[in-house]
Amino acid sequence: MTALERRYRRLLLAYPRQYRMAHGDELLDVLLESAAPGQSAPVLREVWGLLLGGVRTRITHQATGTAWADGLHLGVTAVSAVNLAALLPFTGSLPLWTLLSALALLAIMRGWTRTAFLLTLATGVKAVSIAGGWQPLDLTLLPVYPSPLADHPLFETSSPLAVAVGYGVALSGLAVLAWRRQRPRVRSWWWLVAALAAAWAGPSWLPEDTPFPISLSKMAVEVVALGLAVAGAYLARDPRWALASGIYLVVTSGDLGLHGDQLTRQHLAYWGVLVVLTLATAFAPYRQRRHALD
Amino acid sequence: MYFVLTALRGGPLHGHAISKSIKELSGGRVQPSVGTLYGILERLNERGVIAVDREETVNGRNRRYFRITDEGQALVEAEARRMQEAASLVLRPTTFASLVRRLTA
Repeated sequence: MTALERRYRRLLLAYPRQYRMAHGDELLDVLLESAAPGQSAPVLREVWGLLLGGVRTRITHQATGTAWADGLHLGVTAVSAVNLAALLPFTGSLPLWTLLSALALLAIMRGWTRTAFLLTLATGVKAVSIAGGWQPLDLTLLPVYPSPLADHPLFETSSPLAVAVGYGVALSGLAVLAWRRQRPRVRSWWWLVAALAAAWAGPSWLPEDTPFPISLSKMAVEVVALGLAVAGAYLARDPRWALASGIYLVVTSGDLGLHGDQLTRQHLAYWGVLVVLTLATAFAPYRQRRHALD
Repeated sequence: MYFVLTALRGGPLHGHAISKSIKELSGGRVQPSVGTLYGILERLNERGVIAVDREETVNGRNRRYFRITDEGQALVEAEARRMQEAASLVLRPTTFASLVRRLTA
């Protein structure tokens, strides 16, 4: 294997595995035939083309299977990642419940809906209990004080209702998916990274005395995830990303709505960004075609 | 898209041959990267504008030959007509107005 072939093979990793298995060698054949004699490094134009082509193929390959079920599963995954992110800074005080929440997200990512339902139910009951100051399962010293990841006690600014909505939406979605008896697709490991990033309070961007702080890193994760959803809806002309984004927006809006009297302009701007991106996922699949390839 | 379909009007071709044909047809102006070219080929194939004619194995690697379908043929001809009409707005030899100007000059 020449150095050029080895480098092109590395670039082909941008494509999904399934596509690489089917057509990777064919693309490599054309790339090597197009190369100048003695060339050892890929030209920039080909590098860019492979990276863009790979990302585009990855996105459009997501638009397979039943759109509503896949969108529902994606929405439940996002909500569960946020549920885990809320617990992660408190792992030291709640190791068992954080582990169960992480296992719930893992089960959702692997498509094990029944296991995920039971784990989400257990962590949901505990989370709502902590938010409400109740002790039905085990004794927990309240308030639960944070680790360096967060700057306020667990659910200090959340009402039990807002926490229940998050878990209730995830449980309802999982119940529908389990009833369907068709295993959802396996999700990317990046969801665990997203949950970890969203758990961090991040640099402060709201006034210090705000009664309802929103983590900057969580906002960044949301904008990136919704941005990818818009790209998916635009490229694949598929409504699944709109459903997933809509589910996530309902949960986030519910939490904001319960703090209606405490919201600042920054809160409304944050909510506006989420609404605009969600609307973009809803309209992007129905944009007008400009040519046969669009 | 236009150059890919035009290249395939001459008969089934594989990826490298399509790339070379596009370069020739466009006088070297259009030279899509392999990633871009295969993105176009996959989408045209999904929409039934082109189809896989046959597959061959060369140097141990699979090679697909693509052909244009009837739908693709109609599409590229319609696009050519549209471009011809657009071009004629600028390139037509004489218009009534220019004829009057020429006669009165």
